[in-house]
Amino acid sequence: MTPNWMGLVTAAATFFGIWIGHVGVRKIEAASPGLWLPALSALALGAALEIGALLSPSPYLSGALGIVGMTILWDALEFRRQDSRVKHGHAPANPRNPRHARLLAESRSATTRDWLNRDPVGRPVSRDEALALVQSSEHTI
Amino acid sequence: MNFLRFGLGLATLVIIGLGFVWVIRVEYHLGYLWWPYIMGPGIGLIGASLFIRSMWASALLGVIGGSIIWGATELKEQAVRAELGWYPFNPKPKPRPPLAERIRKWPAPHL
Repeated sequence: MTPNWMGLVTAAATFFGIWIGHVGVRKIEAASPGLWLPALSALALGAALEIGALLSPSPYLSGALGIVGMTILWDALEFRRQDSRVKHGHAPANPRNPRHARLLAESRSATTRDWLNRDPVGRPVSRDEALALVQSSEHTI
Repeated sequence: MNFLRFGLGLATLVIIGLGFVWVIRVEYHLGYLWWPYIMGPGIGLIGASLFIRSMWASALLGVIGGSIIWGATELKEQAVRAELGWYPFNPKPKPRPPLAERIRKWPAPHL
């Protein structure tokens, strides 16, 4: 029986689409002074990929474009949510970014610390303990 | 025009959206150490998709498998989020997966 490669193509498109979007939104949001330009660019790129999926004669290319296009359209909405995460201290702020510098000045929760950069310990932790755990994790890297 | 494959993109959106929900639930009830037992079936589904004739079924199985593998990589960070109080922390003891001590020594993958 000849293998059907369609599932492998869509699995790769799904995993890498999410991965690249995940990392890309974090990096671009941290570097960009405004949110509209990256969000609109992602919207345009996602829409272009969806049009490509509609027009492509190859089922493999069409499937991959459709999936990656949808993940990029999702990412367009994620820029605003990432900004909110930074504001609440759930993602690290970049003090060199004027928008983040403003969040650091205005919000008591905003921080340059990445609270997720450690292994779980299996119990709720206080802010002080979380800080010690993150610092110890940073020293072991 | 290939509207069926555009539909595949929409199905992906729903499957990824559901991924956020099940990652929270799985971490709450089972804990992050179960990640290899989540990732394994995800890889298995992708393997199974190779032997399905229907392009549509194979494509959907691939998307579900890829989404499950991504979800497995999210469990560790979700556990930390729950410990920080950003999500509910389950105070009940979690079931230990087989080979838990060995899994604990492996670096849990995350994106």
